[in-house]
Amino acid sequence: MRRKWEPAGAAYLFLLPALAVYALWVLLPMGQSLYYSLFAWSGVGEHKTYVGLANFRALVQDAVFWQALGHNAILLIMSLLLQLPLAFLLAVVFTRGLRGEGLFRTVSFAPMVMPTVAIAVLWTFIYAPLEAHGLLNSALAAWGGEGWTHGWLGESDPDLSLWAVIVTVCWRYVGFHLVLFTAGIQTIPEELHEAARLDGATEGQVLRYVTIPLLARVATISATLSLVGSLKYFDIIYVMTRGDGPYPHATELVATYMYKLAFDQQRMGYGSAVAVALFGISLAVAIAFSAGMARRAEASVGG
Amino acid sequence: MRELRRWPLYLVALGTLLLAGFPLLWMGYTALKTNAQISANVWALPHPPTGENLVQAWQSGGFRRAYFNSLLVAVLAGLMAALFSAGAGYAFARLRFRGREVLFYLFLAGMVLPIHITLIPLYTLLERLGLRNTYGALLGPYTAFALPVSILILRGFFAGLPRELEEAAVLDGCSVWGRFWRLALPLSRPAMATVVIFNFVAMWNELVFALTFIDRPHLRTLPLALMEFSAEHGWDLAGVNAALVLAVYPALGVYFLAQRHIIRGLTAGALQ
Repeated sequence: MRRKWEPAGAAYLFLLPALAVYALWVLLPMGQSLYYSLFAWSGVGEHKTYVGLANFRALVQDAVFWQALGHNAILLIMSLLLQLPLAFLLAVVFTRGLRGEGLFRTVSFAPMVMPTVAIAVLWTFIYAPLEAHGLLNSALAAWGGEGWTHGWLGESDPDLSLWAVIVTVCWRYVGFHLVLFTAGIQTIPEELHEAARLDGATEGQVLRYVTIPLLARVATISATLSLVGSLKYFDIIYVMTRGDGPYPHATELVATYMYKLAFDQQRMGYGSAVAVALFGISLAVAIAFSAGMARRAEASVGG
Repeated sequence: MRELRRWPLYLVALGTLLLAGFPLLWMGYTALKTNAQISANVWALPHPPTGENLVQAWQSGGFRRAYFNSLLVAVLAGLMAALFSAGAGYAFARLRFRGREVLFYLFLAGMVLPIHITLIPLYTLLERLGLRNTYGALLGPYTAFALPVSILILRGFFAGLPRELEEAAVLDGCSVWGRFWRLALPLSRPAMATVVIFNFVAMWNELVFALTFIDRPHLRTLPLALMEFSAEHGWDLAGVNAALVLAVYPALGVYFLAQRHIIRGLTAGALQ
């Protein structure tokens, strides 16, 4: 009976196509990157020079790499401190039975279905200097804010280019997290809110003691996605600034730096080392974060 | 009266609507203006509107070909990913085999992985195989990188199907293949739809692989065609806005028609 229910080896046949594709296009290249990171190599021809860990030693001394990693850290912190709380507040507002809240949600999610290139091009127009009819600067000038007009992506005093591109990235993802939080709020039984209100809790207290604790799971998911996403981010920033700004590397991220090393400067070995470092950092942060979350969950169960 | 008292909430909602929605409207009506009208006032509505920019962008930007390329790649890779993930998801949910946990986590790890770590080796591999600048250069990586989320979603779905159904099929003499093809797969239609939507949107908008593996104009996907057009036309605001509209409005139209399904499709992986 057991045999008939599940013939030996059948499972592997079910897995074979997915595993073959995944191994060839994901796992094998990952291993190769590790290998390439030990060489100096232009990418043209087979001529590689083994340099051991020299690429990684150079990486530790590379100011641009640390600068780029710092930008990733700022993007990460901003998406946790700006994007997620904003998405949460909007989710609370849009689950109060306002008229047209479905429309509000639909429109704020719309950037998620746009190509990142389109978002980058659109926001380049928004941030363009006054002479180039930038949308933001034109509005500031028209409403008496001439002093505030600014070459948002290309003026060094003060340098706002990094913040400008981060706002664009958040603009794309707020709607996504808003929908996640909305789904979380909708799974909370309305009776819990009602019961708290009957006990005399204010709206703020209901939010603090009922809604927020019950959203811990969704918040963890949102935070994890933001975390992983900000570390490997590339698209919008590459198209808007190529990682530069008022000065070279002003908006550089680790991924844009790696891309330029490999495909503009043909430093495939060093580029691989940057890619390996990016992978290691992402993995370490993801593991540390989920371990921390698991410990907190344990502590709250135990306490 | 109750609605009136909630005006602060409506204010927040309206602000959000403007912040998220106005840029989308702006590119639409700016595409209908001449550059002279744009210079006069970048915020104003077109007066009179012109369709000239759209016609020119469509003719010179290679968008017809880009639409074809994007559609071809996203449909083919999307189908392969869905089918392969269904097989793997079924195995992970229903079959017992050695290494099940390890293999599942190996696939899941793909969600954390920066795709950039595969870029250099894939570039050299494709170059060596003569596959750079072919559809094949995108089909492989697109399928592979769609697998982790798809397997996660489909495994969850198959695990939730009542076991009694399959046990009855076994008693009727149905093999494991039969149970997958004739029972589990047809039942999984909603989950498959979710997976197909998620992957289609991701592939339709994908940038990094296309940027690295494609540089022949006739093979450009939609994001590449738009990037190229906006680079060539610099501050021709009217022209580039027309290109933006051509690249984005059809997708936004589909989104507003099928928003419920698309939103569910794009968030299903996260809410799993």
